[in-house]
Amino acid sequence: MQFQRIVTGKIKSDLYYDLIELFSGLFLAGFLGMHLIFESSIIAGKKVFNNLSQTLDENYLALAGISLVVVVFFIHFLTAGRRIPTRCKEQKIIWHHTGRLRHLNTWAWVLQIITGIIILILGSIHMWVVVTDRPIKAETSALRIQSGYLWFYVILLLLSVVHAGIGIYRQFIKWGWFPRKPLGYVIGFISIFFILLGFTALFTFLRAGGL
Amino acid sequence: MKNRELTLNIFRYDPNIPGREPYMQPYSLQETEGMTIFIALNQIRENQDPSLKFDFVCRAAICGSCGMLVNGRPRLACKTLTRDLPEVITLMPLPVFKLIGDLSVDTGSWFRQLSIKTGAWVHSDKSFNPNCQEERMSNETALKIYEAERCIECGCCIAGCATANIRDDFLGAAGLYKIARFMVDPRDERPEEKYFDVVSSEEGVFGCLGLMACEDNCPMELPLQVQLAYVRRKMALIGFRV
Amino acid sequence: MNTIVTDVLIIGAGLAGERTAIEAANQGLDVIILSLVPPRRSHSTAAQGGMQAALGNCAMGRGDNPSIHFEDTVKGSDWGCDQDVARLFCETAPTAVRQMAYWGVPWNRVAAGRKRLPGGQEIYELKEYEGLITARNFGGTAKWRACYTADGTGHTIQYTLDSIVIKLGIKVHDRMEALRLIHNGDKCMGVVARCLRTGKLYTYISKSTVLATGGCGRLYGASTNAVINEGSGMFLALETELVPLGNMEAIQFHPTGLVPVWILITEGARGDGGYLLDKNHHRFMPDYEPKKKELASRDVVARRMIMHMRKGYGVESPYGPHLWLDIRHLGEKHINTNLREIANICRNFAGIDPVNELIPVRPTQHYSMGGVRTNINGAVYGIKGLFACGEAACWDLHGFNRLGGNSLAETIVSGMIVGKKAAEYTLGTELTYSYQQVNNHYNIVRQKIKNIIGGKLNKKRHENVFELKNIMEDVLMKHVGIFRNGKDLLKAVNALQELYHRSRNISLRSSGTGASPELGLALRLPGMIKLALCVAYGALKRTESRGSHYREDYPRRDDKNWLKRTLAYWPEEKDLPCLKYEPVKITEIPPGDRGYGESPGKGGTS
Repeated sequence: MQFQRIVTGKIKSDLYYDLIELFSGLFLAGFLGMHLIFESSIIAGKKVFNNLSQTLDENYLALAGISLVVVVFFIHFLTAGRRIPTRCKEQKIIWHHTGRLRHLNTWAWVLQIITGIIILILGSIHMWVVVTDRPIKAETSALRIQSGYLWFYVILLLLSVVHAGIGIYRQFIKWGWFPRKPLGYVIGFISIFFILLGFTALFTFLRAGGL
Repeated sequence: MKNRELTLNIFRYDPNIPGREPYMQPYSLQETEGMTIFIALNQIRENQDPSLKFDFVCRAAICGSCGMLVNGRPRLACKTLTRDLPEVITLMPLPVFKLIGDLSVDTGSWFRQLSIKTGAWVHSDKSFNPNCQEERMSNETALKIYEAERCIECGCCIAGCATANIRDDFLGAAGLYKIARFMVDPRDERPEEKYFDVVSSEEGVFGCLGLMACEDNCPMELPLQVQLAYVRRKMALIGFRV
Repeated sequence: MNTIVTDVLIIGAGLAGERTAIEAANQGLDVIILSLVPPRRSHSTAAQGGMQAALGNCAMGRGDNPSIHFEDTVKGSDWGCDQDVARLFCETAPTAVRQMAYWGVPWNRVAAGRKRLPGGQEIYELKEYEGLITARNFGGTAKWRACYTADGTGHTIQYTLDSIVIKLGIKVHDRMEALRLIHNGDKCMGVVARCLRTGKLYTYISKSTVLATGGCGRLYGASTNAVINEGSGMFLALETELVPLGNMEAIQFHPTGLVPVWILITEGARGDGGYLLDKNHHRFMPDYEPKKKELASRDVVARRMIMHMRKGYGVESPYGPHLWLDIRHLGEKHINTNLREIANICRNFAGIDPVNELIPVRPTQHYSMGGVRTNINGAVYGIKGLFACGEAACWDLHGFNRLGGNSLAETIVSGMIVGKKAAEYTLGTELTYSYQQVNNHYNIVRQKIKNIIGGKLNKKRHENVFELKNIMEDVLMKHVGIFRNGKDLLKAVNALQELYHRSRNISLRSSGTGASPELGLALRLPGMIKLALCVAYGALKRTESRGSHYREDYPRRDDKNWLKRTLAYWPEEKDLPCLKYEPVKITEIPPGDRGYGESPGKGGTS
């Protein structure tokens, strides 16, 4: 072993990074699910949506939740992002490699990096808008969507669900918690459910006229 | 399907000649019944281009010499039948390993280094007594060790691994599988913490991204992901203990 | 000239080579192993079957001891083996197996309880043996004694030995091909070698040198051997003009090699009821062997197959005539469970599904009993400081027919014994060599290479190395195969002699620079043809049938005239070996009826 490794001793940071990436990811995925379910309460009507929002607000759950999510969001970016090939040479190698190999899971990883980076940008904007435009109300949300934010949300929804799906799938496989094939089906099914749910909510906001 | 005219596009490069650029060279070949890449390459060397470099030893998927990229994917050339491939076949050397020339790569040195790095032998303070009966072991344990020792070090998992392609020090599936082999062996007296140094880092199990190209390209169809997950869980547990 | 100096130089990193290296290194000696390929790619890894050692732990091996193993070995060899060697081997084998267990081989173990064998017989494994090393059945043995690890015995032993080599820090120079032994007419001092990565020449100077290069199966066009088994250690020794090769005519064939890749299809297929069919899909074995049919012994089946093909009933293919092995009638379930290994080989390497299709097979060269003649210590005849072990050697454990499972055991046991003796020799000797002598040998090799590469310019020289190799392979397959007779053998000798002359005019079609594979073969081929001539000429002169050497014109064993071992020397200017003979050492069991190979013996491969 080299000198610098002997003097630095046992380093558990890689284990911790890995675990932080895992748990922050799971948290965010869980949040995403909750978020989409809460969001889709609009389907049941403006009243339900506003009541829910108000309840969360009154108990400071929204404030606590949003702050926590913002922190975890960036922690997840820092830990998971350390895996992104940053050097030009590395990126070129990965492109060549992925193109040659034609391997679904490797493509999925590339897709996850790309979605992750876009989510970082779009998610930040989304959080900024929501935080500066509190409290959350059906009317303001609908207005945002009708005033051209629709495509923004369509993209963010798709990317988030895909990113979360692939992430959970890979983590579960890595830790050996589930057999691969059934896991793929289950996650695929859940992802489609959430995408449809999100679309329905967006559609409802879009159609929520008379504002 | 019979008697097709095959075109093999083969990567050519001799790193020993300075200034020479790599290129792809096409060879035409008449397909025969039961033809494998092993047969095809030998025919090309005999009849068309005796300078073509490639490695075969056992030609029976036992020795692990002939890993190469067949149409982009890591395969053992000896057990790849041409009839399962389209008429145009591209052959390239395995990435990650040092290129010796054309399709020949130095997997041997890479794996030797791996064995040294991971201390891949049974560590024991006992000495051998020729007059004694062997130490007993249950047959299940023996079979478990055997399962973990079935890797033939062909390098297909390493070549297919995105991390290994960009990180020179990554142990890869083969390396972690090898460590698992000694972890399950009761004769190895290494305390578990010993493994932690080598394995519990980005070079080891926490460098794995879980892309499963290792398992999907393993010619021996080894349960790599199961063993990798085993090592990962074990390392996490040790990590919280030490 | 790049020169590397060491105490012990070992050529070949298979099981025999690595085991020798470990023994020598444990005596505190500096050891270097040269190998054509990384050690774990050696042909030793292909031995699936097992390693014979009389442990007597399993139910069907109970009561076994080295004496019974000895008797099996001597009978199997058709009294051609050296009985002192066989005795030493059988006594050492159990220790060797246990030591491999200590080092890490996961031998299959005895699991107590009642078991039913495929034949219906019930056996009972005793509790007191539980957890000890078990064994499986192999053809030609009185007891079950082939120790094994599932279907990867050679693989696990090689990986374990190599792990010890790595642990001990023994240097392995892989992709390094020995081209010539350096000697002064009395003592061997190392080798001249060519790096297969760069093509550069190196000289290795050593106090002692061990040849552990394996067999020469690739002299034959159809061989179960790995492609690197070209007998290089044998012709290196032969080319010293001092060292004889023993019993080169003793070549073992296996009846069912898969066409066209010649991978072994084990006896299990026929043992379970497979048929052999000819080109008319006629089951021909009952015509010849009405009683045992396909289940006659290995050599008998192989002889009948060749006989039938000679009559014109072979199936023509681009890879030569072959016959069919039919297991379709055994049913999908049986094929995919009991014969899974065979089914996988057929699917992977021939694209054939044996559930619905016929398997093309042909008798295939399998093992060379002969090799560099050594004494019981592994010291090579005729020169000091040179040792040999494993299949490369004619230690003479196998005589004229090797017992299944004895080859794997020989690699380890002879490695132990020869390693120890080589170390003793090395510790008692000084490193003396003259630069001039080393340089001479180096220059001979360099000149050889120059001649071959330069041959391009000389218009009279234009022999194609691949063409010559194919002719050699065909001649041996056709005339020095399973059936031998004076007429054909003479044809073979003449053809090989002509070939030998032609091989001096090899010219390359590639530039031959760097690690050119064509140059590599061009350097080896003349030596290989010499070996082929030793096989053919030895077979021609041996006018009897013994073990695997079967003469149609002399179908009986002739102990009166032929209870002796062939020693083939090669005088440099000649185009034929000079044959001498020595008596075979009989110490315990006088020649008698062989009674070997009558039972089909499942799985008896390796």
